[in-house]
Amino acid sequence: MRTGFSGFARFAAVRAGAGVVVAVMLVATDAAAPRFYPDDPIWTDDDRAFDASGVGTIEDSNGYDFVANTFSNPGERRDVRAPNVNTVDELPDSSWFTNRIGRRPMSVADVVRGPDQRDGVDMAGWVVSGGKSSGVQPGFRMTDSSGQTYQIEVDPSSNPEMASGAEMIGTALYHAIGYSVVEVYLTELDPKTLVIADTAMMRDPLNGKRRRVRPRDLELVFERAARQPNGRYRVLVSRFASGRPIGNFRYYGTRPDDPNDVVAHEHRRELRGARVFGAWLNHDDSRGVNSLDMLEAAGGRSWVKHYMFDFGSILGSGTVFAQRHRAGNEYIFEQRPGWLTLATLGFYIRPWMRIDYPDMPPSVGRIEAEVFDPQQWRPEYPNPAFDNMRSDDAFWAARIVSRFTDEMIRGVVAKAQYSDPKATEYLGDVMIKRRDKVVKAFINVVSPVVDAGLDADGTLRFANAAVDARAATPPAGYTLQWFAFDNATDTRRDVGDPVQVTSPEGRAPAELLTGSDFIGVRVSAAHPDHPGWSSPASFTFRRAATGWDLVGVER
Amino acid sequence: MLLVAFCLLSSGKWSGAQTNTPPTRADALHAERAAKAQALAPHHPNALESGLNFFEDRAVFILDREGFYPKLGSITVGSGFAYGLGFRDRDLLNNYGAVDMWVAGSTRGYFAAEGRVRFPELAHKRLLVEGWAGRRDYAGEYFYGLGTDSQRADQSDYGLRTTVFGGSAGVRPFSKLIVGGSLEYLHPSVGRGNDDSVPDVEDAFGEAEAPGVSQRADFLRTHGYVELDYRQPRYPRQGGFVRADVSHYEDRTTGSYTFNRYDFDVRQFVGFFAGRRVLGLRGFVSTTDEREGGVVPFYGMPTLGGNDTLRGFRMYRFRGPHALLLQAEYRWEIWSGLDGALFYDAGKTPLERSDLNFDGLERDYGFGFRFNTDNGIIFRADAGFGSRDGPHLYLVWGGVF
Repeated sequence: MRTGFSGFARFAAVRAGAGVVVAVMLVATDAAAPRFYPDDPIWTDDDRAFDASGVGTIEDSNGYDFVANTFSNPGERRDVRAPNVNTVDELPDSSWFTNRIGRRPMSVADVVRGPDQRDGVDMAGWVVSGGKSSGVQPGFRMTDSSGQTYQIEVDPSSNPEMASGAEMIGTALYHAIGYSVVEVYLTELDPKTLVIADTAMMRDPLNGKRRRVRPRDLELVFERAARQPNGRYRVLVSRFASGRPIGNFRYYGTRPDDPNDVVAHEHRRELRGARVFGAWLNHDDSRGVNSLDMLEAAGGRSWVKHYMFDFGSILGSGTVFAQRHRAGNEYIFEQRPGWLTLATLGFYIRPWMRIDYPDMPPSVGRIEAEVFDPQQWRPEYPNPAFDNMRSDDAFWAARIVSRFTDEMIRGVVAKAQYSDPKATEYLGDVMIKRRDKVVKAFINVVSPVVDAGLDADGTLRFANAAVDARAATPPAGYTLQWFAFDNATDTRRDVGDPVQVTSPEGRAPAELLTGSDFIGVRVSAAHPDHPGWSSPASFTFRRAATGWDLVGVER
Repeated sequence: MLLVAFCLLSSGKWSGAQTNTPPTRADALHAERAAKAQALAPHHPNALESGLNFFEDRAVFILDREGFYPKLGSITVGSGFAYGLGFRDRDLLNNYGAVDMWVAGSTRGYFAAEGRVRFPELAHKRLLVEGWAGRRDYAGEYFYGLGTDSQRADQSDYGLRTTVFGGSAGVRPFSKLIVGGSLEYLHPSVGRGNDDSVPDVEDAFGEAEAPGVSQRADFLRTHGYVELDYRQPRYPRQGGFVRADVSHYEDRTTGSYTFNRYDFDVRQFVGFFAGRRVLGLRGFVSTTDEREGGVVPFYGMPTLGGNDTLRGFRMYRFRGPHALLLQAEYRWEIWSGLDGALFYDAGKTPLERSDLNFDGLERDYGFGFRFNTDNGIIFRADAGFGSRDGPHLYLVWGGVF
C-alpha cells in the first residue's frame, strides 16, 4: 500500500520505546476480535476518557528536533494502515482532529471565518503582559480586561504583511481541514498607546533571565517591524488557547504519561496526511516544535488537546524573510545533492536553484506553482509521519484538499488583507494551481471510488472522487466483484464472476442479498493515466433494518 | 509488555466471556487506554535531548551573557586561541548603549585588556559614538623585511606592546552609508618577540630596514572614513562594500615618524543560481606618506600574508609602505550552512608608490570550506597553494571578505 513517495520513506526496526503502545495495539487486534464491531464505523474516538492531569511538559528545542529527525530516524517505519482510522477508512473526531470540510458542507464564510469566535478585536483596555516566549517573529503578549491573553506579532520591515498574512491563511485553511488551531486576528496598533502591566515579565534576550518588560523592549520589536504609511503597525493577534500549555507533540511515538495517547504519532492518519496539506500550502515548517499541546480540564478530568501552531512560515513567507529557495524542495541536510555539489565544485545545480520566481510584492514572499511537484515536496527536515504516509493516507488528504473551492481559497486570501491587489490575486492563483496539482497527484494513487451505497433491493451506487474533483477523466467502466463476508472468521467468499459496468452503479447478486449479514463489493477501474485505479477499493455492507449500511472501506 | 496488557484486559469487564473480545469498538479503544493508564511513565529526555536543550536554553546565554562572561576566541589575527574574562552591560541608558571590558591571554602568549563604551543607535540610529581604552601585548609578531622581495628565510619576530585610548563618532545619512572619524592616542613599544626559533627584529634588521625598531614614539592618530555597505546578507550573496580610510599619525615623541596612511577597500559579490553560487571580488590598496621629513614606522605599514589576504603565505609575510591586494573567491553552497570555496589571491607591498601596479604580484590559489549563517562565517578552513613559500593551511574562526 505504501507508494514510497519520492523514495525517502525509510523502514526501521520497531523501536523499544514503542513499548506499551505496541503491546496494547497487539491486544486490540487480537485474532478473536471481529473486523466489524456493532458500533462500527465510529465517528468519535473518545480520547479524553482517562484523566491526563499527570502529564508533564515536553518542550523540544529547535536543535534537538532537527538533529533527532535528521540523523536518528525516530519512530517506527512500517507499512501499516493508520491505526486511528475507522472501518470506512475515515478519521473519527478526536483531540487531534475534528472533521470539518471533509465530512460536511462548509460555506465560503465558514471556511474564511476559521476558528474565530468574533469579527475582530478591539484592543482598548489591553495591557502588555509579557514577552514572547518562542519563535523568530518579533512580538509580545497582551491581556484584555477579562484576563484573556493574546500574542502580538509584527511583520518584518522587509516584507510588510507577509508573515501575518500567511498566519491568517494557514489558520483558516488548517481549521477547515480539521486541525485545532488558535484564533487569529489582524488589527492595527499604535505603539505609543501601549501600557505595560506591572506584572509583565519576559526572558531577557541577552542573558535568558526573567525580568520585567521595559518600554525599550517594545521599541526593539517595532524597530524590526514593517511600519504602515499611517505610522501605525499591522499586527497579528493570536488568542491563547484554553488550558495549560504542556509543550509540543512529536511526529513520532506517544506521550508516555498520557493514558489517552495510544497510537504512535508517526502512524496517525492526520499527521501522515499533513504532508499533503503541507505540500499544498508549502508548510515547510511543519515539525514538532511548531505544534502545541494544551491540557484542558472539565468535570474533574483533564485531557490533552493537540494544536497545529505557527503558520508564519507557509506559502511564500519565511516569517522574517521571504521563503528561501530551498524550502519545500529539499531538506536542510540531504546527503545526495550535497555530496554531488561538493564533488562537482558546485557545477551540479539543484533543480530548485533554477526556479524563476515572478516579481511580486514583498508581502507574497517567494512561492510559485509552475515547477511545484507535490510528490517531491519536502519540509525542512524529515518528518516520521510524513515518511510513513501511504497512498490511502494521501488519498484521504487529497480528497479534503479537493473540497476547497476557488471561492473559498480566494476568500481566505482576502482575509489576509494584503494592501496590494496584485498580491491577493497572485496568491489566490498560486494556491488554486497548487491545489489542483496536489489533488491530481494524490487522489489518483489508489482507486478513487467513494461514497458507495447499497439499497435494500441490491442497487449499488458510488462516486469517483478523482472525476468529481476534475483530477481525472471518467474511466471506460468499472469492474465489480461481489463477495460475502463472515465477520466471525474474517473471511470473504467471492460470489459470481466479475461484472463490468460503464456507469458508477451496479446490482448485487440476488442470492447474496438473502444469504449473509455482511456482503461487499470490490470495485476497480482501468485508466491509462492512473494505474493506481486498477487496485480495487473494497466496500463492505452490513444488513440493517431497512437495507444495508456501509461498514467497511479498504483501499 | 504484551503480557501485562493481556492480563489487564483479561481481568477487566470481559474476563468472564468466552474470549477477551470487547463488545464494541468504543470498548476496545477504552481497553487500550485502560491498559496504558496502568503503565504511565514520565517523559525522560535522553542525553542528546538534554544536551541540546541545555545548549539552546542556557549555554548560548553563558557565552553571550550579560555581566561577567568567558572571553573566548582570538585577540588579533595570529594570536592563537584566546581565553579570559569579560564584563558587559548592553542595556546602558535604556538600551541605547553598551559597555564591554575584558582581559584575555592566548595560546601564543598574547595578552590584551580593553574597555569600550558604545552608543550605536543615537539620534534614531543616525549617530554612532564610541570610546575605548586598552592595552595590547602582541608577543610574537613576525617581520621578514620590507617590500615584496623579502625572503621567508629572513623571518624575525618582535613584540608590540601598545597602550591606546580614543573615541570615534559616525553619522549615518542612510542605513547603508556611514561617515565618521576618530581621535586616538597610541603608545606603542617594540620589544623582543617570544619565538626563540627566529631572531628578534632588532637583531636582524637595522633602523633603515625596519624604521622605528630602535626608537619609540607616541602617536596621536586622527582618522576619517566613509563606508558604504550594501552586502546582502551580511555573509554576502550579492551586493558590495566600499570603504575609504584616511589617517594622520602624528609622532608626539620624536617627530620623526609622523605619517599619513590611506586605505581603500572595495568588495563586490555576484550571486547566481538563487544566490547559492557566489563570486566575490576584492581590491585593496593602501599607501603611506611620510610627513615633515619623517619615516613611516614598520609597524604602521600595511601587511599582506595570512588567512585573510595572501593565503598561500604566512601571517604578515609581506610588509611595506604601500600595498596592493586582489582577491577572487568562488563559493558554492554544499548544504545550508556549509559552503565550499575556490580562491585566488595576488598582491604585493612595494617600496615605491609608483610600483602599485600589476607587475610582480605574489600569487596563490586554494580551496576551503566555510561554516556560515546569513550573518557571517563562523569557522573556515582554507588551504593555500602555489606560492613561493609552499602550501599553507589556515583554520580560522571568522570570515575572509
